[in-house]
Amino acid sequence: MTNDKCLTCNGKQLKAMAMAGLQWLESHYQRVNELNVFPVPDGDTGTNMLLTMRNATKEVAEMEPRGAGNTAAQMAHGAMMGSRGNSGTILSQLWIGFARTLGEAETFDASLMVEAMRQATETAYRGVQRAVEGTILTVAREMTEEAEELVPTISDLRELLTRIVDRGWDTVRRTPEMLPVLKEAGVVDSGGTGLMYILEGMLRHINGEPVTTGALYAEASELAPEYEGGQLQHPGENFYDVQFVIKGPNLNSAAIKSAMESMGESAVVVATADAIKVHVHVNNPGVPLTYAANIGQLSDLVVENMLEQYEAFVRQRQPQEPEDFTLRQVNPGDIATIAVAPGPGIAKVFQELGVSGLVNGGQTNNPSVEEFLTAIQAVDTDKIILLPNNKNIVLTAQQVATLVEDRQVLVIPTRTVPEGVSAMVAYQPDGDFDAVIQAMSLSRDEVVTGEVTTATRSVELDGIKVTEGQIIGLLEGTLCAVGDSLPHVAASLLQEAELDEMELVTLYYGSDIDAPAAEALAMSLAEEYPELEFEVVYGGQPYYPYILSIE
Amino acid sequence: MTKISIVTDSTADLDAGWAKRYNIRVVPAFVNFGAESFADDGVALTRPDFYSRLAAAPELPTTAAPPPGLTEQIFREALDEADHVVAISLAKTLSGIYDGMLLAARNIGEDKCTVIDSGSLSMGVGWQVLAAAEAAANGADLKTILSIIDDTRSRLKVYAAFDTFEYLRRGGRVSRLTAGVGSLLQIKPVVSLSGGNVDLLNRVRTFKKIYPEMAQLVTDQAPLERLAVMHTNARDRAEHLLGLVQHIAPPDQTVITEATTAIGTQIGPGAIGVALIRARS
Repeated sequence: MTNDKCLTCNGKQLKAMAMAGLQWLESHYQRVNELNVFPVPDGDTGTNMLLTMRNATKEVAEMEPRGAGNTAAQMAHGAMMGSRGNSGTILSQLWIGFARTLGEAETFDASLMVEAMRQATETAYRGVQRAVEGTILTVAREMTEEAEELVPTISDLRELLTRIVDRGWDTVRRTPEMLPVLKEAGVVDSGGTGLMYILEGMLRHINGEPVTTGALYAEASELAPEYEGGQLQHPGENFYDVQFVIKGPNLNSAAIKSAMESMGESAVVVATADAIKVHVHVNNPGVPLTYAANIGQLSDLVVENMLEQYEAFVRQRQPQEPEDFTLRQVNPGDIATIAVAPGPGIAKVFQELGVSGLVNGGQTNNPSVEEFLTAIQAVDTDKIILLPNNKNIVLTAQQVATLVEDRQVLVIPTRTVPEGVSAMVAYQPDGDFDAVIQAMSLSRDEVVTGEVTTATRSVELDGIKVTEGQIIGLLEGTLCAVGDSLPHVAASLLQEAELDEMELVTLYYGSDIDAPAAEALAMSLAEEYPELEFEVVYGGQPYYPYILSIE
Repeated sequence: MTKISIVTDSTADLDAGWAKRYNIRVVPAFVNFGAESFADDGVALTRPDFYSRLAAAPELPTTAAPPPGLTEQIFREALDEADHVVAISLAKTLSGIYDGMLLAARNIGEDKCTVIDSGSLSMGVGWQVLAAAEAAANGADLKTILSIIDDTRSRLKVYAAFDTFEYLRRGGRVSRLTAGVGSLLQIKPVVSLSGGNVDLLNRVRTFKKIYPEMAQLVTDQAPLERLAVMHTNARDRAEHLLGLVQHIAPPDQTVITEATTAIGTQIGPGAIGVALIRARS
């Protein structure tokens, strides 16, 4: 179709529009998937809507052209029988409602289209148990409301659809304001976005614009540019988002487009019969507006400061970060644990496993009784388990336990970090105190600890001769390997271990080791021991490049 | 006399023999690999094919609720041979299948269809379906069948242990578990599923610790009326677990079930589970 007004749409045209909607969605469905955080973080809304549209159009692809009503009904049937997922179900309901209104009609005009949209929206709302606003349903409803307002004055389907699509994208952009989960995740609604790609594809078809992938991808995506890859991006220097419509005789959309491109970035220029819609990001909104006012009449002006939006987004995200390191708040009466951690990575592991208190310390840095007492004071319960995680700290912890009289403080004498972690895995905050202690102690016993460090002096121990500065490996505290390279000693250490019943080796790498080195070591060990699983965890501990947990 | 037909969905893991014997109709969920979609009926994509694809696929599959038209069609087919449909779905907290069944029921007429949220998964649904189907075959009326389903569910326990938490984390359907499992260490959660809620019972780091945990959970519920041991591509693990509880496994009422591909998609390979019905006290 070209720039002529189009007052009615027949079956053949509806079919072509639906195919274009499908193709345009196909070009963008991955992007829709990326938006999907609710209810499933690993998005599939785009895929499900695509599969649903494919099934809808498959019904009419091979068919001889028929009336608009019959064509819509066929597509509704295809969607109904071939939809996937919740978003697909809603899309199929939209088609069903739309087709129901058209009935046997050969063609539809603007007023019949609006009626069909209303029926589509109502059917979709009825199709869900609890309609949630800020979703595809809202997008469909607000587009219908827009259409209802416009139809008394607009009979050109192209112009009507242009306005509806604008309104739909606007609704999509506002979905985070309506649905808190979207705002938290920093995304717009995925189902609504998918619906807009379908309708935008239809509009592009009417405008004679291509709908397949390629260079166009970038162009079209600018209609929803604020949320890239599910995250709000910093807008850069061209942070004013300017949108307007120019009306007037002899407008040259190509010239306008190139003018916009010279003023800023992300320029999108969409021409309709008697108006041109412009969308551009600039650092001075006055420039494009002045240009436009000089060549025609300006309307539907929107200027948004994306930097403000971005900053608001960042502010709202920030409070979540400190939470990352919150310790478990116990309810009075529950069991709390306090662990000694020799490095930030290990502290994080204990935090994730649910400790309520952390005491910094380890080899050559044994915490004081007072540090323990302070940690105990901070916990609001009377059942507390201490995990010293170092054989030199066990005694201190036991002493602490005897000093606290108003609460039950027990020590599980974990001698190493792996023992402490293993005990902590079996922790249950609301279990019976004795049973929890027993389960944690049992769990501790099932892990074997290996440590790789540097000899601080020359010595002969257990028949092994060590020179100061050499790398040594200890298994359960006993010297069992010596050498000049970390990987070599780590491998020898494993050779000495009883691995028959073992499944998993965890490498906690220390503050002097970088992640790639640790990964490389794990890879080479995994080749040597294919029956074992290896995991690499940042420990950040000093003195011990590697602590191995073997279980 | 009102004839009642039983319908469920593919995630009930109902044995094909039972489905045939009691004429139980099964609405398939769908598994999508990229933009390719397969009905979860064990035919469109067999379990072995599914797991070899899973190992090779660049992106992991997702599951999708079935089209409402298909659900409605299956209800209508059931009604060709019966006066009323009782449909028992996967827990509505875990899927949109229940909503789709309600939609189908509304289109057909709610006087002709009763849709029940099983609150469960796999054979946790399957045992409820089987009890309903047995009652229907014996000519029980709607009220009796519904109360039998209730009674079965009140004696149902479902436990599962996962080889990895990655699939569940990505699936996002069990966000309540995420805090307890974390993301730094490999943790294998042991969970219960009851009333649609998945609760963390225990955390372990190696599979060898899962067996005694699971065996204890099952033994604590003895005596049993029925027992299913489920697995995702891990028959040897299921058999090992069954060996540990063989002494309390009810003869002729114990099965090993390989979970359907939709469940495999959500929890990943290597998982084991049990769905048991306690004997009436």
